[in-house]
Amino acid sequence: MKALGKGSLASILAAGLHIVRVVIFVAFAGLAIAAVMLPLGPALLELASRVEGVNVESDLVIEGGDYIRLVYYFVTFGVMLYIVNRLLEILRTLRFGSPFVKENAVRFRRVGYALLFGEAAKLFFGFFSLVSGAEIDVKIELIAWIGIAAVFVLAEVFHEGARMKEEQDLTV
Amino acid sequence: MAITVKLDRMLLERGMSLTELSERVGVTIANLSILKTGKAKAIRFSTLEAICRELDCQPGDILFYEPDL
Repeated sequence: MKALGKGSLASILAAGLHIVRVVIFVAFAGLAIAAVMLPLGPALLELASRVEGVNVESDLVIEGGDYIRLVYYFVTFGVMLYIVNRLLEILRTLRFGSPFVKENAVRFRRVGYALLFGEAAKLFFGFFSLVSGAEIDVKIELIAWIGIAAVFVLAEVFHEGARMKEEQDLTV
Repeated sequence: MAITVKLDRMLLERGMSLTELSERVGVTIANLSILKTGKAKAIRFSTLEAICRELDCQPGDILFYEPDL
């Protein structure tokens, strides 16, 4: 498979990541609407029940756990969006034929930190779910932590690669 | 960097332009400019040999060691 150009793995990955980014944006919009509607829900139902001729019956109960779950999803989607954007930037440099630049090492490092933040947030919200009963499914996944380590290793490899490329470019 | 390249002086002495040297040595003007402006990190023996051949000089005539202050 080609490394660059049309039909290459990089272009297929970029197309897939663009779709993922749109999906995350839509999910974000949904969450934003939910964040506004959640506290207003009972008040709106109360308001509707006061209107003559309208019969409102609801067993809607919003607890603290629902808010925690909402914040958890916001953080998770935020981390995903951040990572997808960094990966798209890396793929853009690959399409232009110069992936071994120091900026990409920094981008990989940022992806690593974002993943670390995401995992830490998962544990943090997991702890709160125990307290509040927010029903957040949290598991400590060893493979995720190994993945994070792999991203940091990749960042260091890119840093060294960028240094070697610079030296090569400045060798006459 | 403590190593400085003084290609200008040698070119002037030989009455040769950078373009001409580039054609004779087979190194692009862009790369020779990198060498001339002191941005180069390394020089290949083959490049040094070609420059010395075309300018009829020794490596020591174009490369100098000036300690960083």
